Amino acid sequence: MRGERLSRKKGVSIEFADYREYAEGDDLRHFDWNVYARLENAVVRTYQDEEDLAVHLLLDRSASMSFGDPSKAQAARRFAAAFGHVALGAGDALFLVSLGTREAPAPPIRGRATYPKLVRRLSSDPPEGREGLARSLRAFAAGDARPGLAILLSDGLDPDIEAGVRALASRGHEVLFLQILSAVDLEPDLEGDLRLLDSETDGTVEITANSYALRGYQANLRAHQARIAEAVRRCGGRIATVRSEASVEDFLRTTGRREAWVVR
Amino acid sequence: MNLQNPGVLLALLPLAGFIVLLYLLKIRRKDLTVPATFLWPSRTDEVRANTLFQRLRFSWLLVLQLVALIALAFALARPLTRQAGLSGRVTVFVLDASAGMGATDVAPTRFDEGLRLVRDAVRAASTGDRMALIEAGPVPRVVFPLSTDPARQVAALESCRRYDAAADVGEALRLAAAVVANQESAQIVLLSDGAFDPPQNFAPGKAAVVYRSLGQTAENLAIVALGSSVTTEGRLAYCGVRNFGAAPAGTTLTIYADGRVLDSAKLLAKPGETTGRTVPVPAGVKAIEARLNPPDALVADDYAVTVTDPNAALRVLLVTQGDPFLERALSLDPRVTLDRAQAVPDSEQGATGPASTYDIVVFDGIAEEPVRSRGVLTLGVAGGPSPVRANGTVKNPIAVSAENHPILDGVDLRNVFIDSAQKVTPKATARTLSESSQTSLLVVDEGKQRRAYLAFRVLDSDFPLQVGFPIFVANVLDFLAGKAAADVLAVPAGSTFNLPADAADRPSLVVPSGRSLALKVEDGQARVRDLDRVGRYELRLGKTTKTLFASLRNERESNIAPVPSLSLGGGTVKAVATPVRYADFWRPLLLLGLLVLGAEWWLFARRS
Repeated sequence: MRGERLSRKKGVSIEFADYREYAEGDDLRHFDWNVYARLENAVVRTYQDEEDLAVHLLLDRSASMSFGDPSKAQAARRFAAAFGHVALGAGDALFLVSLGTREAPAPPIRGRATYPKLVRRLSSDPPEGREGLARSLRAFAAGDARPGLAILLSDGLDPDIEAGVRALASRGHEVLFLQILSAVDLEPDLEGDLRLLDSETDGTVEITANSYALRGYQANLRAHQARIAEAVRRCGGRIATVRSEASVEDFLRTTGRREAWVVR
Repeated sequence: MNLQNPGVLLALLPLAGFIVLLYLLKIRRKDLTVPATFLWPSRTDEVRANTLFQRLRFSWLLVLQLVALIALAFALARPLTRQAGLSGRVTVFVLDASAGMGATDVAPTRFDEGLRLVRDAVRAASTGDRMALIEAGPVPRVVFPLSTDPARQVAALESCRRYDAAADVGEALRLAAAVVANQESAQIVLLSDGAFDPPQNFAPGKAAVVYRSLGQTAENLAIVALGSSVTTEGRLAYCGVRNFGAAPAGTTLTIYADGRVLDSAKLLAKPGETTGRTVPVPAGVKAIEARLNPPDALVADDYAVTVTDPNAALRVLLVTQGDPFLERALSLDPRVTLDRAQAVPDSEQGATGPASTYDIVVFDGIAEEPVRSRGVLTLGVAGGPSPVRANGTVKNPIAVSAENHPILDGVDLRNVFIDSAQKVTPKATARTLSESSQTSLLVVDEGKQRRAYLAFRVLDSDFPLQVGFPIFVANVLDFLAGKAAADVLAVPAGSTFNLPADAADRPSLVVPSGRSLALKVEDGQARVRDLDRVGRYELRLGKTTKTLFASLRNERESNIAPVPSLSLGGGTVKAVATPVRYADFWRPLLLLGLLVLGAEWWLFARRS
C-alpha cells in the first residue's frame, strides 16, 4: 500500500526488475503479451518501484478463538475483511493464511474485484485447530512466503507466542499484531472447584476458583500480554488489543489511531 | 508438665486420623473448557471433599485443624505446668509472727522477709489468682481474706506485726485449711522458721502445703533463766544464759535492780551450754532485769525480768480432765503461769515437804488432795483437806444468799444455772460465802493455807458464759495468793489479759517506746493487749500506776536454727527455697485452640 501506509521499506525505483507469473487481478497493462505469444507463459513485468506489497493476513483459527460472544473468530474475520479490503484496494498481493490448522496456503489475490473472493475465503467454519499458534507461525516463517506485511489476527494465547513473532520478524516480515480477546479471557467468571481443560491441548489445571486464583490469572494474563508487546516492539512491529465485540469503526477511530495503525 | 486427665489424649490420634482421612478424599471437580490453561495458576485449595481418594497434599487448612485439635485435646487433658513462685490459683499464706521471726540473720528480719515474699507474690499474681494472708501470732488473725484485689492486699500488709512471743501456728494452719476447704488447686504456703509445736488436728484436705523456710543461722545467745529466792544470805538472783548456736559465743550480762546496774560480767558459752551468774539482791528491790550486750541475732531473748513480789507472778497447777473455760479464765490473769495435769505430780503431793513449785493448785472435778501450795481451789469434788464434807448431790440448786467478800465482788451467783452440785457441810473453820436452800455453794477457809471450794464444776453450769466468771477467777486468785494485787507485774510478751477497771479511771497503757494507748473498758474490765515487745510497760488506772514487765522466756523461740522439715497434716513437708507449684494450663490451650479454629474458618471462607 505504497503511499498509503507507513512502511519500513524506503526508496522507489522505475527500473525494470523482473518477470513474474501472472496472478489473478494483476494489472493487464503490465502483462507481457510478447512472452505470452512466444512462450504461452502468462507473465507480467515488474519494476523496482512498482513491486507489489505482500500482505499476509495471518488468521488464527485455533480452537481458543471460538470463545466469546461474539467469538474472537468472528471478530478476527471482521477485521481480516477490513484489512484485506484496504490491501486489495491498494493493489497489494493479499495472502490469507490460516494459523492453527493444517490448511494449505491459498494463492494470493489482488485487486478490488477479488474482494468477494476474500470474503468467501474467510470461512465461517468454527475454528477448531489444535496445532498451536506459535508452531503455526514458525511454520509459516519457515516457508517460502514473500516477506511483506504480516497482519496477525489472534488472541495470542500461546505460551510461546513470542517465539512465533520473532520468527516472523526474522523472515523480514513487518508485524502488525491485532490481539483479539473476549470477556472470557479478560474477565473469566468462574466459581467453585474446577478442572480446566485446555481448548487446544490436552492440558488440565485443577483450581478452586476463588479470589486468589482469579487474581493469579489476571496477573499471568497481564504478564503474558506484556511479553507479547515487548516481543512485537523489539521486532519493530505494532500491537493493539481489542475486545471481540469491538467494531472496525471503533478500532479505526480509537485504538488504531492511538497505536498508529491508521494515518490521516 | 503433668496431665490431670491424660486419657483424653488417647482420642487424639483417631481424631487426627479422621481429619487426615477427610483430606484424602478427593474433590469431584467440574470440568470446564477454557481458551488456554497456561494462564491459570495451579491452585487447588481443597476445602471440601466428596469422593475417594487422592494423594495427601499440603494444606494450611489441614495444618490449622490439626493444631486446633491438638490444642483442644491437651486442654481437655488438663495440663499442669511447674512454675516457680509462691502464688497459685488459690493461695493462703500463713506468716509466722513469733519471736523467732525477729531474728536478723535475714535482713532486716525473717518476718520482714516473709512479708516481702507475700508482697512479691501478690504483685506477681495473675488475674484471677486468689490469695489470703493469715498472721500466725499468739492469736491467729486473717490479714486479708481470699480475694483478687492486689492493691488492697498490699495495703493490708501494713497491718501485719510480729510479737515477742510464741505463735499459735497450728491454729493458723487450721484456719488456713478452713479457708481453702473444697477449693481446687489450692495451696497453703507457710512462711516460717519452723520453730513451733507440731500442730494437732491439722488436715489440709485437697490443698498442697508448701513450707518456705526463713532463716540461715542458729547462732543465738538467750537468757533462759532469771529468778530470785530468799536464802540465809539474803535474796539472791540467778540468771542463766544459753548458747543455742554451733560455735562458742561471748556476751556481757548486765543485771539491773529496779533499773540500776547490779552486776555486769562477761560470759563465754560453748555450743549448747548454759552459763550464768548469781548475785545478791538488795532488800526492797521489786524488779530484777537482765540484758545481754551486744544484741545478737534475736534481740527479744536478750532481755528478761523477774519480780520479787510473790503476788507479781503466780504459778498455777490446774488438775483437770479438761475445762477450756477454766483454762481460759486462768490464763487471762497476767500474773498466772499455768500448768495442766490430770493428777497431782508426786513432787507436789503431801502437806509437808519442800516448798511447792506452785503458788496455787486448782482441782477441777477431781477430789482435793493434800498439797503444799499457798492456796487451793476445789471445784465440784471435795477431798480430805477441803473446808467441807460431802454427803451427796443436789439437782438444780439456786443461790439464795451471798456474803460480802472480795471473792464475790462483781459476781452474782444467783443468776447462775447449776445442773448439779455436791451437797456439802462446811467444816468448823470454814466460812460459807454463798448457799442455796439445799447446800453451801461457795466456802472458803482463810487459814495458813487458803482454800476455796465451789460445790459445782463450771462445766455443770452456765457460769462460764456469764460476765462474772473471769472476775470470780481473778478474785479467787487474789484471795488464794493471800495478798493484795501487786503494783509490779511480770507477764509474757504478747499476752492479753483483763484487769478490773472503771471507765472513769481512763485506763491507758504506756508502751516501751513512750507511746500511750487508751484501753477500752467493758463490763468493769480493761482489756490489756499490745504487749507485743519485751520491755517495761506502764498501766495507768486513774491515780494508780502498775508496772508491767513483758519478757520472752521460750527456749523453742530462742533456738532460731531453721527447721528443714516439718510434720504437718500427717506428712512431712520439706522446706523449699523457691517453691514450685503446678498451675492449670488448660485455659491458654483452649484459647489457642479457639483462635486457631477461628483462623481456620477465616481461611476457609476466603478460599471458598
